[in-house]
Amino acid sequence: MSVTHVQATPPGTRDVFVAALREETTTWLFVVKSLLAFYITGWLAMRLALPQPSTAMLTTIIVANRQTGMVLAKSFYRAIGTMVGALAGFLIVAFFPQERVLFLTALSLWIGVCAGGATLYRNFKSYSFVLAGYTAAIVALPVINNPLEVFNTVVWRLSEVLLGIGVSAAVSDIVFPSRIRDDLRRLCRAQFANFIDFVQRAVCGKVARADLENAHLRFVRDAVAVEDLRSSVIFEDPEARARSGHMLLLNQRFMATSTTLQTLHHLINRLKRKGHEVAADALIELYRPLAGALDAPIEAGAAARVLLPRLDDARQAISERKGALRANMSSAYDMLDFDTGATLVDRFVDELYAYVETASQLQAPRLFGSVTERVRFERGNDYFGSALTMVRTSLVMGVLSFYWIVSAWPSGASAMLLATVFAGLFAAAPNPAQWVLHTSLGFVLGTCASFICLFFVLPLMDGFGLFVAGSAPFLMIGLAMITWPVTARAGVGYCMGFTLTIAVRNEMSYDVVFFWNDTLAQYIGLAATGMAFLLLPPAIGSLWFRRRQLEKLRRQVRLAASAPLPGLRARFESMNHDLFGQIVSQTERGSQASRHLVAWTLSVNEVGRTLIELRSDMAGRPLPEEVREAIERTIDAIAQLYEHPDTAAYIYARDAVAATTAMIEGDEAMGLLLNHLNVLRLAMLDEQSVLAAYMQAHPPAQGVAHAA
Amino acid sequence: MPREIAIGGALVPGLLIWFLLSVVLLLLFDWVVGRYGLYRYVWHPALLRLAFLVCVFGCFALLNL
Repeated sequence: MSVTHVQATPPGTRDVFVAALREETTTWLFVVKSLLAFYITGWLAMRLALPQPSTAMLTTIIVANRQTGMVLAKSFYRAIGTMVGALAGFLIVAFFPQERVLFLTALSLWIGVCAGGATLYRNFKSYSFVLAGYTAAIVALPVINNPLEVFNTVVWRLSEVLLGIGVSAAVSDIVFPSRIRDDLRRLCRAQFANFIDFVQRAVCGKVARADLENAHLRFVRDAVAVEDLRSSVIFEDPEARARSGHMLLLNQRFMATSTTLQTLHHLINRLKRKGHEVAADALIELYRPLAGALDAPIEAGAAARVLLPRLDDARQAISERKGALRANMSSAYDMLDFDTGATLVDRFVDELYAYVETASQLQAPRLFGSVTERVRFERGNDYFGSALTMVRTSLVMGVLSFYWIVSAWPSGASAMLLATVFAGLFAAAPNPAQWVLHTSLGFVLGTCASFICLFFVLPLMDGFGLFVAGSAPFLMIGLAMITWPVTARAGVGYCMGFTLTIAVRNEMSYDVVFFWNDTLAQYIGLAATGMAFLLLPPAIGSLWFRRRQLEKLRRQVRLAASAPLPGLRARFESMNHDLFGQIVSQTERGSQASRHLVAWTLSVNEVGRTLIELRSDMAGRPLPEEVREAIERTIDAIAQLYEHPDTAAYIYARDAVAATTAMIEGDEAMGLLLNHLNVLRLAMLDEQSVLAAYMQAHPPAQGVAHAA
Repeated sequence: MPREIAIGGALVPGLLIWFLLSVVLLLLFDWVVGRYGLYRYVWHPALLRLAFLVCVFGCFALLNL
């Protein structure tokens, strides 16, 4: 016994030790890689005699990230943004070289437009807007007294930024690259395994309604996270780029499948609550083969492929069972409910099969064929909110410019520059005032470190080697801070402050008075930005904005009801998920607002999707004129209800659904349409859904009473 | 190599132009190699890309003496 004991312990301790070491390794690898990029850039910039090597060095700090793909993506967008911004700055100076008021107005407007554009995107694309904004300020402000110099400033700025970007990209790609591809693969695998496991538990009947809502939340987060990673991974790896289309398709099918699962689950719950046990039990019996088919160990490797033949068998079994189960139905209403459910089960199995098939294609070492179906992940943007951001940023810039002009402050350019940078960088953050505060703290620390380094250490050092030795320890502190989540923002501020104020160049100047004048101006710029964010809080995250987004989400039903059909399913699902993801990230988990929101999303998802199915089934068949009119009126009534929910609209929509159902009930040929209408009718009558608030005490009309 | 190149009367550093041109060539090269899956025969793709960029950039500098 003691022998086994002795053998068991050392690996345990060693494992812990190795794990801890590995964790630390990634941190220090990041620090070393960033330092390497920083100093190579600095050396090259000085060798090429660029006027401001610190700009190039600052670039390496800004794009620094643990993951290669992120560095490459950010570099790419930074390059684009810098080019556009430099051009804009050049033009602004060219148009208004003598008119300081017009010049500053044009500059403020341009920065505002860029900040507004940045809020429309949620990955590094927004960053390139920010850069286009503040690069214009960076190239234009320093030459305000000497406009003829602007062309040179533009060229230098471009050279410095491109140099920094090139070196960062090369270093992070070549020296121990850490691939985002692996993360994405892990995330996709986890998403797949989670989802299959969830479906398996759901079809066994082990999931409660609250869990279903939570699961939906998680699925949405996953779908949006995958999409965000995908948009970065394509920069890092040609193979991933080739798979990008499949990845989009997988995500799309994932969203479709989870929506159908929701609808099916809600249908069964509603039937049970209304006492239609026969139909509900028959439906549960109908999809039981799925539980067996999915009950396979999901591991890395060929997992998805294993499921395909099993799903095929399950589909076979389901269609064999259908006839017998249908014969058991006692009344016509049970029969209708059963048919509705059976259609949903069929759709769900088909979608699940397509999803698993795409997953197995992605997991295969080689891709076969190209993507037949082109899909896009559409974003749900709020143009009004971004216009507001634009106005706010322009105002801040305008006020600062005014102050600068009136006070004739020699360091005004410095203050304005930093204010521009920060106002742009944090415009799209959820809580920018806090961000600015954290970053400013880091910035102050960074300037203090820079003061010590510049006036006590560097005067004793001579040559590039000793410069590296003298400044690296100070910089390491900031880089290490970036890697710890708590101090990440302060770390970025620290590194920026350090690099900006130390202002490395070929002929160093050790001028204490200039240093403090400039640094104080930068502090004032920072404070102005922070105050602006406090006084004019951004729309994002506020109650008003959230309400607008919720309205937008509800309007998705109108989209489903009236937009042209081709590609609508993908459009509807991805916009829904994006909107939902945005709202979710702005509400507290588990709060009343968040629960309310989830309920609305589920309702919109279900009804919108059913409307799309109904419309596409309607489009393909000849219908009597009055039936088509009745159905279109119903669709319109439902869209109306979601746009302006109130009791009258609710009653109108409910009665329209009931009337149309009654109109086509007897007709065998319209079975499919009837099924969709039945889903809608049950959704309308669900007293646990968000629509329950509008039901009140009005007794339902006769056509609905018998089913309720 | 000319130290500066005149574009429409404005002097632009020669190195910047050649660097941008090399980057464009690199992207082209990367796209072709990625398109036909040739990176599978390469030990360190990123190193290959950097080497390509250095070679092309160096060639430009030498050819424009």
